[in-house]
Amino acid sequence: MKYVTILNGEQYEVEIDKEGRILLNGEPREVDFLALGPSLYSVITDNLSLQAVIEEERGEVSVLMGGRLYEMQVLDERALMMAQRRGGLGGGSGEITAPMPGLVVAVPVETGQEVIQGQTVVILESMKMQNELKSPVDGVVDMINVSAGQSVDKNAVLVVVTPPSED
Amino acid sequence: MPEQPTKINKVLVANRGEIAIRVIRACRDLGIPTVAVYSDADRTALHVRYADEAVYIGGPRPAESYLRKDQLIMAARQTGADAIHPGYGFLSENADFAQQVMDEGLVWIGPPPNAIATMGDKQAARTAVTRNGVPLIPGTEAGLRDEDLIGAAEQIGFPVLIKAVAGGGGKGMRAVHDPKDFAEALATARREAESAFGNGDVYVEKLLIGARHIEFQILADTHGKTIHLGERECSIQRRHQKLVEEAPSPFMDPDLRERMGKMAIAAAEAVDYVNAGTIECMVDRDKNFYFLEMNTRLQVEHPVTELVTGVDLAKEQIRIARGRPMTPQQSIMEPRGWAIECRINAEDPYANFMPSTGKISTLITPTGPGVRVDSGVYPGSEITPYYDSMISKLITWGETRSEAMLRMRRALSEYTIMGVKHNIPFHINLMNSFSFIAGQIDTNFVEQRFSMDTYENDPTQKDLETAAIAATLYAHRKRQLAAQVVAPAERDTSNWKWIGRWERMQR
Repeated sequence: MKYVTILNGEQYEVEIDKEGRILLNGEPREVDFLALGPSLYSVITDNLSLQAVIEEERGEVSVLMGGRLYEMQVLDERALMMAQRRGGLGGGSGEITAPMPGLVVAVPVETGQEVIQGQTVVILESMKMQNELKSPVDGVVDMINVSAGQSVDKNAVLVVVTPPSED
Repeated sequence: MPEQPTKINKVLVANRGEIAIRVIRACRDLGIPTVAVYSDADRTALHVRYADEAVYIGGPRPAESYLRKDQLIMAARQTGADAIHPGYGFLSENADFAQQVMDEGLVWIGPPPNAIATMGDKQAARTAVTRNGVPLIPGTEAGLRDEDLIGAAEQIGFPVLIKAVAGGGGKGMRAVHDPKDFAEALATARREAESAFGNGDVYVEKLLIGARHIEFQILADTHGKTIHLGERECSIQRRHQKLVEEAPSPFMDPDLRERMGKMAIAAAEAVDYVNAGTIECMVDRDKNFYFLEMNTRLQVEHPVTELVTGVDLAKEQIRIARGRPMTPQQSIMEPRGWAIECRINAEDPYANFMPSTGKISTLITPTGPGVRVDSGVYPGSEITPYYDSMISKLITWGETRSEAMLRMRRALSEYTIMGVKHNIPFHINLMNSFSFIAGQIDTNFVEQRFSMDTYENDPTQKDLETAAIAATLYAHRKRQLAAQVVAPAERDTSNWKWIGRWERMQR
């Protein structure tokens, strides 16, 4: 099976054959990958012994290893083809969702407004703190689903920013 | 005639999270049964499992449960608890509740209501401690005219801070370093305060540069004895929230400890304090110290004092409430070794410390020499948006400050929490920062001079590749497993049926 795994915008081609041998970007790799529990793994590669916690949520695979959290998308051939048909890989989604339940304090943008990556689009109050939610991409505000004073659930889509189409 | 000791047969813990567990543990050590209380959000919380009995007290919001005085007293009545320990936060510094508990004939494991009330009122506290010669940050009263403020500022000595009486969040606050800038800064501060709070009244206070937050642990019993158990350094803060505490303070010397300790005891005695409490101070670069406030409860950071003094503060609180003399009979002038505490919060240090909610899916807690973890969570427990974001406290002890720091680094690297974002990476970076290692810290350090980028190396290409391979193998196996579930079995009859047939054949 061939996969493309996207980490920090970089693509890694990982091929796993029937015998479980691994090729990374065409190069063979020795990786001893052992499940210890539902999400706990022991990884030994080049005598390097690592402990990894791995979980998948909403299509994203998170690996906690050496105190660092790596968040990745793993695409198999079918998913890869579909993603390419949609217009390219690695283009982050412009959906701004609520990371926790809370109260919308302000929406400092308007529909149709151009925003840049890192610009605050929603201010959400939760756990006695005001949190600025920022746009993950450059683009245009396409949709605003909430207004100030509204309570929202976790993972609710608050604002959608559409990246400009690449011509 | 010796005072009749008060009986405590069962303790209701009017709190939640790690502090409820801390108090329950102290009770267990003393052989006293405990009662937990819980809200709708906490039915599955750890403190409920640790206690002998548990009483439901209402909705998830604190005002619907943990702050309902009548409900808490009713829970005590219902279970036959004869004492209430308030923990910290919630009703711990509520003089009315303390009084109500006592009026009901229950034992309040905390200071007298009068002491809580006086120390809870900023002006009353200042008046009370000044009578005992406790130094305050030099400053003016409110309500002065511009000319008087300028005169007062010169008397206090520059730099000074202009502060709005109705202030908060830095609005209407101005630092003035040069007398010639004073008039303009005063006008700006008044304007800001007027527009933000509808009240332009300001006062002037001495600006302490590079000041540290150092506090003294106080214990006082009903036999007229008040002692201190040394200091804690709490300068690592963000938005006035403490993140790391240590005991002793790297800034302390025996002479300063002697003087500050005397002052702390005098401040506590000014309100006839009984039980455990904390005198918070600001200490400037020249080792001048000023009283800030007294916290009339057990502090979050009490474990660092416990580790360097050997005193179990929660147990002492109960002992004192029982009317017995406290175990340590004199102030502790020489701490043994060094202890550091990191508050582990569900906050993302890479996203401006945004709080994170969700289920803790994986939890591996550090152990080994010199490590203590006071935790309120378990694998599978939920971090809800109703309460503060502290998950646990990681405390390490060492013979020296370096040993405690190295153990902290080791323990942080062992600590594995998955499911919510947390601030362990912040603590790892802090333990690597030269300023912290050198003990060169003040209350502005985290906000003004610390960055997550300085000490963190980018992951190596090898790390990234290993992570990518691990993620792919994980996804690959999961997909194969899913494919097997839908694939037909090799023989179309279930194994159970085969066994059944085989067994019938053997009969």
